[in-house]
Amino acid sequence: MHTRVADSEDLLPDPEVVKEPVRPMRFVRGAGWTMIGAGALILAFLAYQLLFTNLLNSRSQSQAETALEERFEEARVAPLEPIVLTPLGPPSTIGQDEPEVPVTTPISFFEEALPEIGTAFGRIVIPKIDLDVVIFEGVERDTLKQGPGHMPWTPLPGQAGNAVISGHRTTYGAPFYDLDAMEPGDEIFVETLIGQSTYVVREILIVKPTDVWVTDNRPGAWLTLTTCNPRFSARERLIIVAEMVDGPNFEYAQALLDGVIEGAGF
Amino acid sequence: MRRLFGVLPGPAPVRVLLMIILFAVGLVALGFLFDAAGDLLDNGGTIG
Repeated sequence: MHTRVADSEDLLPDPEVVKEPVRPMRFVRGAGWTMIGAGALILAFLAYQLLFTNLLNSRSQSQAETALEERFEEARVAPLEPIVLTPLGPPSTIGQDEPEVPVTTPISFFEEALPEIGTAFGRIVIPKIDLDVVIFEGVERDTLKQGPGHMPWTPLPGQAGNAVISGHRTTYGAPFYDLDAMEPGDEIFVETLIGQSTYVVREILIVKPTDVWVTDNRPGAWLTLTTCNPRFSARERLIIVAEMVDGPNFEYAQALLDGVIEGAGF
Repeated sequence: MRRLFGVLPGPAPVRVLLMIILFAVGLVALGFLFDAAGDLLDNGGTIG
């Protein structure tokens, strides 16, 4: 029986036959690796945004707690002296009934200087959504990573006017994650150097990010909270407008509102 | 990774050092990229 020993040419695959399947295989393999890479990148992005940023915020908040406690301790040792204002006199009664109790007693006003940008200066507590966090001065990117930030061009919380605080909704500790659960009548407490002020929610709005009118000053004492809406999107802003109902400057704000005294900024 | 290691100049220890530096730079760049992209999800809720 004759057997032929295969020479080297017989062992080599025919180039025409082999080349055709290799090209699509390479493409498929390349596409596969690209998709795996893209998937890994998306997973890493989500892990960074939803886990790592929370860790960063948690560390910042715990450091801020200590700083705030020291700040409050200093205020306890040397409390802020109120500025006593004398009322202008009873409001004009021409064409109106006499006021039942004319305002004659002096009104105390606690002034608090604007803290430096990035300083932890107070605490916001919202029992309805189980929120209790330190608030910072400023709304720069780095400040908001630490916690809710106060817009420096608005009055401080606890003061007359419209104090505006912005906060993250889904990342960096997501302090305002459940802000959409707030309803008119819910209470918000803010503690600063002058003491604790209580606000009650009056209005809930959804506006465009460019609707700056929500930060406008207004008569009385107000607190406006702003955050992204809906969750995981910066398309709109959820706005919670709350009115002061108690606090060291409540009487002063009411007197301003009633026109009994004159204040700066109105 | 192996290809990149092969392309890098110098002896093996220098290449390892360069790889570590490249990795760190890549991580920082990725952090910036993620931070910027994160603004689409949640930019802190500021107005204006």
